[in-house]
Amino acid sequence: MSKAGLSWVMGIALLVVLALSLDGYAGDLYRKLLLTAALCLSFNYLFGISGQLAFSHIAFYGIGAYGVVILTYKVGLPLPLAIVGAVVVCGLLSFVVAVPATRLKGFYLALATLAFAQLFNVLLLQGGDVTGGPEGISGFSAKDYFGLPSTGSAYTVVIVMILIFTFTVLLLLDQSWFGRACRAIRDNEAAAEAMGINIFRTKVAAFMISSTLAGVAGIAYAFADNYVNPIVFSLEPLFLLLFMVIVGGTGRHAGAILGAVVLFLAPEVLEAWVGRHYLLGFGLIMVLVILFLPTGLIGLVDRINSTFWTKAVNR
Amino acid sequence: MADFLELMVSVGEAGSIYALVALAYQVVLRPTGIINFAVGEWAALGAFAAVSFITWWKLPLIAGLPLCIAVVGAVGWITEVLTVQPLLKREAPELSPVLTLLGMLIIYRETVSSVYGVDNLFVPMPFGFGRIEIGPFAGTSQSFFILLVSAITFFLIWLFFERTVWGKAFQAVAINRTAAAVLGINLRLVTALSFALGGGIAGLAGVLQAPITSVHFLMGLPLAIKGFSALVIGGVGRIEGALLGGLLLAFVEKITIRYAPIPSGMALGAPFLLLILFLLMRPSGLMRARGEQ
Repeated sequence: MSKAGLSWVMGIALLVVLALSLDGYAGDLYRKLLLTAALCLSFNYLFGISGQLAFSHIAFYGIGAYGVVILTYKVGLPLPLAIVGAVVVCGLLSFVVAVPATRLKGFYLALATLAFAQLFNVLLLQGGDVTGGPEGISGFSAKDYFGLPSTGSAYTVVIVMILIFTFTVLLLLDQSWFGRACRAIRDNEAAAEAMGINIFRTKVAAFMISSTLAGVAGIAYAFADNYVNPIVFSLEPLFLLLFMVIVGGTGRHAGAILGAVVLFLAPEVLEAWVGRHYLLGFGLIMVLVILFLPTGLIGLVDRINSTFWTKAVNR
Repeated sequence: MADFLELMVSVGEAGSIYALVALAYQVVLRPTGIINFAVGEWAALGAFAAVSFITWWKLPLIAGLPLCIAVVGAVGWITEVLTVQPLLKREAPELSPVLTLLGMLIIYRETVSSVYGVDNLFVPMPFGFGRIEIGPFAGTSQSFFILLVSAITFFLIWLFFERTVWGKAFQAVAINRTAAAVLGINLRLVTALSFALGGGIAGLAGVLQAPITSVHFLMGLPLAIKGFSALVIGGVGRIEGALLGGLLLAFVEKITIRYAPIPSGMALGAPFLLLILFLLMRPSGLMRARGEQ
């Protein structure tokens, strides 16, 4: 087996072993961490690789979550159909948002997607019986399928699969012509166009793929807590996602995962010392990283690695 | 009709505040190209400064207001020197200062919440709760105070940009940074001053807002969103754009809440719909910059 293949198998095995061995609070934390990592990966593709600062990412996470819950428990579709339905809704909505939004330059994209995200939140709060208003929807749970349980560590394995699926899709895209086209557009739109890249189609496709992947993570989230409410899908978590991607290393898959792990687990450690003021620390880290570590934590890891290896070779 | 005219006074009140926040964005945006989402927190800082100076220290408004503006202006200046200047100096990507300022947004907010706590605080109405009627228009004394102060502020800022050498220097930097530097304009100073000015204006908006609503550490972000919407609606090119955008945004907001046959919570979505429409139909806003076609 190739070296890369081996590290994939090792990585997946580690994630699954963790999924099976953690339960209770640790298991819950682990599920949320996996979902956060999946969101970071897709947001990194959108923001870091395609250069689209879109504030709608968490909204699509919410559309996936609310979509599947509403389709199963309010509309009455069977779960597999509802899942497909929620994915389709995410895809269609992301298309509707992307077509006008990606034509906007720079920060206007951020603002248009911000307006969309805020509208989505207003709808969640005001949706009455359909969305459950500020309290959200609770008291549902996925039924067992194929004789497999849909709770606890078995469900964690499902989330591991979703993370791996997200990572694989994004990695394959990134290594294909499509990924190169996205990066070319991010770095210089005019030059990319001159090389024959269809700017509009590439941007729309990147937006749709990453937003739909966020929706898929959202579907998984709905059954992790068996509870959906508007606060989870507001603007604040989007800031956190942005911080994770930047602190980890913008435009790098490994960076997105590293940022997700570090900033997701940091409150667990810090909250005991400083209460909710850990957020102040997040702000500081964000500012310091942009000022002094433009390549993020993963850049730092690279630097340590390379000095270590040069030393080892020179010795 | 009386109902409508009274509504217009509250449109003017809310619109002036949105317009001031939009103006705070604009004075930073034009010479530097930086969209500073932390202006909402600057407004919140102004409101909290008012809690300290006016509610607690019982300073008269004539001393308290300038003090609040100066404090937030200083915060703007220091922010620029510490977090923006190093990025401009090493020619970091365009987005970097915007992102550090997002980080600063969190830092301001969390600092404020740890100093002042998370409960609602209050600033007294400087002219009491009395109702004032001017012709057919009626409103609280604070409404008319806000209208007056905003009108004066916009006039002064307009004078500054159109009639003073310093204002012209800002304009020159806005049009072409390199050419402005060649002409001997101190870019670093202009950038720092634009942040101080933006801080002062946003701080003023916060002080004006404080007596109407309570002062809370989460008050900044909604103001930042409203102000930026106002700026986009009005157009970033001209001072008047911020004013017009703020008033139009407040008009649509108040009219839908009062008259539209939908629940008032749903009407909160109206400004966002307006914003999306504007972004799609007229991304340059109502007012185009001079010299643009």
